[in-house]
Amino acid sequence: MADEPKGSRGSLQGIAMAVVIWAIVVLSSLFYVRYGVPELASDRGYLDSLYYVILGITGAAYILYQLALGYVIYRYRGDRPGATSSHWHESHKLELTWTIGTAAILIPIVFTGLIYWDRVRGPAPDDAVTVMAVGAQFQWDFHYPGADGEFGRFDPTLYAIDNQIGLDEGDAAAADDWVLTNQLVLPVNRPARILMRSKDVQHALFLPNFRVKQDLVPGMTTEVWFTPVKTGSYEVACAELCGLGHYRMRAFLEVMEEADYRQWLNDNAPAAVADAAPPADSPPVSAE
Amino acid sequence: MEHGKQSFVSRYIFSFDHKMIGKQYFTLAMTMGFIGGILAVLIRLQLGFPSKPWPFLENLFPVGMASGIMTPEFYVSLFTMHGTIMVFFLLSLLPVSGFGNFLIPLQIGARDMAFPFLNMLSFWTVVPGAIIIIISFFVEGGAAASGWTAYPPLSAIRSAIPGSDLGQTLWLVGMIFFVASFTMGGLNFVVTILNLRTRGLRMMRMPLTTWAQFVVGILGLLSFPALAAGALLLTFDRSLGTSFFLPAGIFIGDTLMPHEGGTPLLWQHLFWFLGHPEVYIIMLPAMGFTSDILATFCRRPIFGYRSMVYAIGAIGTLSFLVWGHHMFVSGMSPFLGSLFVVTTLAIAIPSAVKAFNWLFTIARARIQFTSASLFGLGVVSLFVTGGLTGIFLGTNAVDIQLHDTYFVVGHFHFIMAGAGLFGAFGAVYYWYPKMFGRMLSERLGKIHFWITFVAYYAVFFPMHYLGVSGMMRRIYDPNVYEYLQPLQPVNLFITIAAFVLFAGQLIFIYNYFASMARGKPATENPWNAAGLEWSTPPHPGHGNWEGEIPDAHRWPYDYSEPGKKRDFTPQWEA
Repeated sequence: MADEPKGSRGSLQGIAMAVVIWAIVVLSSLFYVRYGVPELASDRGYLDSLYYVILGITGAAYILYQLALGYVIYRYRGDRPGATSSHWHESHKLELTWTIGTAAILIPIVFTGLIYWDRVRGPAPDDAVTVMAVGAQFQWDFHYPGADGEFGRFDPTLYAIDNQIGLDEGDAAAADDWVLTNQLVLPVNRPARILMRSKDVQHALFLPNFRVKQDLVPGMTTEVWFTPVKTGSYEVACAELCGLGHYRMRAFLEVMEEADYRQWLNDNAPAAVADAAPPADSPPVSAE
Repeated sequence: MEHGKQSFVSRYIFSFDHKMIGKQYFTLAMTMGFIGGILAVLIRLQLGFPSKPWPFLENLFPVGMASGIMTPEFYVSLFTMHGTIMVFFLLSLLPVSGFGNFLIPLQIGARDMAFPFLNMLSFWTVVPGAIIIIISFFVEGGAAASGWTAYPPLSAIRSAIPGSDLGQTLWLVGMIFFVASFTMGGLNFVVTILNLRTRGLRMMRMPLTTWAQFVVGILGLLSFPALAAGALLLTFDRSLGTSFFLPAGIFIGDTLMPHEGGTPLLWQHLFWFLGHPEVYIIMLPAMGFTSDILATFCRRPIFGYRSMVYAIGAIGTLSFLVWGHHMFVSGMSPFLGSLFVVTTLAIAIPSAVKAFNWLFTIARARIQFTSASLFGLGVVSLFVTGGLTGIFLGTNAVDIQLHDTYFVVGHFHFIMAGAGLFGAFGAVYYWYPKMFGRMLSERLGKIHFWITFVAYYAVFFPMHYLGVSGMMRRIYDPNVYEYLQPLQPVNLFITIAAFVLFAGQLIFIYNYFASMARGKPATENPWNAAGLEWSTPPHPGHGNWEGEIPDAHRWPYDYSEPGKKRDFTPQWEA
């Protein structure tokens, strides 16, 4: 047509657009494969499986949609020979198909997700090792309850250089408690229950290798539980902005064999040794 | 429409004309967006070259970059203010306040907005907000540094981080101005669209842009007051010693705080009750622009108009029921988290409807490639990319690992920032002739598009790799963590691409201002578009139409009707 905007026909824009979209799809997908989640060291592998299932579904949708978009842009570019456009603008059948189709793909994802969420957020098993993580600008303190399995009382007025968690030494339950700074030690293959509290602002305990992340909220005790399944030393990060030193609020999680864990307790905190392995026939220690 | 002679002040400064007010918003939003872009460049400078000295920058930021090395607190201020400025002062002001004001009366056949004075007031309320936000960089302690989400206690206690001193106070004051302005605007949108449509313009004949602005007006009216309330309560906590968000036992800087009884989670609920509708306040107009632009340049009616309207309504409604997906690991009840998964993933359905309707609008088309249509096609691509990554984050079990990582940063830069920005660019290229009576340079526009599109993917797609690999958001130096050190090349690549992306925007700014004076004079309807706004003179004056306001005889998408001589039938033709 004579009255069309200048430069909009006979140009390479349509072909270029299609090629660029296709190239982006191919490159972005190829590179995606090179980056996986960090090495798994907990029993939460099913979260990874769900991640990969969603990656498969959305990845396929991404590739197919963008390829189709590139194709229709190429196929229906205005400068193709004999170009016409159609007035067709409604198809209940098609619209119903993609509405129901999308819902049908999403429903299993939602339900699988909810089932896994329940498993992750359900109550910790009774034989779990319980530790209280105390977050502060910009350090982690891990408070072990000791042999009695009970955390000593803490009192914010007692926070001091030599009492980072404000432990009330007068409390009977505090006698066998002990604290590790920027280091968390857990036995392998036993559930670990981490309670959390913050001294100052919000933090988030992020254990990248364990698929664990939970905010620490001042005034509340939050918790997670998981089971480490691989020994080794892993980095612990803060994932919620907590101040200018947020980026260096780092700790380590050591996962040890049960025997090594007991030995380590013996060497470092003799009073807490009983916590290492509750006899199978005695009632499990509760940390409530 | 009769009106007296206008002085310079009443014409260009305290104007009642919705088009002038719209243009004032453009200028403000583009200025703020330019500043937000510079902040992004500085953020990427640090992440690409951690702690490398840049001596020349010391002259610009003597405190934040003392001896040329960025301080961590300056870095935190940078991303806090980048987010604040971009989300509120660019992506809300440009598409909503700017285009909403400019386009609604033109598209519905009205002489002006329903409340012109309120409209002017709304603009002049947001200006002090913007000025205060900018000034906050130059006060003791620097700008706010608690993220654009301003979570207390970090944002509530002055000693928690330097930016939480005066900078955070100014941030809160600026936001209250913003909310006041935006609420006035929203009210004006809703009233105008409901009452001032020209004869024949039934609701189901409105362009999708106006539909989007209508729903956005409602969203703004209902959600922004929650932020205003939150900001006010946070100000009280900071200045009057109340404890809405602060529990007992907070110990900062060797001092036990006197607060007791509050909870930080309350702020998160208030903030995200605004925050989630807000992302759709940004998205919906972009969806509307894209639909209008694609219809015009595909020379096709928009596919599935009715379901597009329903999708806008469904997205708007659902947007109020999903805020908890920002809080899956916040300490909120896990049961509540499960409810939010269902509502969140439900949004994927109307979103998919939009994506497929666009695809079928492009199919069987005769696409004209203008700068506007290229940006419109860009929106479709970015929207799908960003929408799909939302499925990971909306599934709470998977969100545990990805929450607060760069996966989230990548996600929202595609769906909200990217689609929103591309939509706004497309809209500027498309409606510029009505704004200034001149055409933008198509050549510069296309160069701008290609740089922006390719660089945008290059910057934000690799962020998903970083997030999957476990890199947290908002960290000053990822190399502190051993497991993040292998990712440095990706960060460097993103940084270089970000510089290119920023440079590309300078072309747009030049084109925008240079074309006002030197652009080719526009005709009444340069794109042969069918919408009512194209029946106005090339550079419409106060009152928009010189004679009678035309009636609307049809919907605005009558393109390529079989048996017609022309390939479009304007809305105002019987």
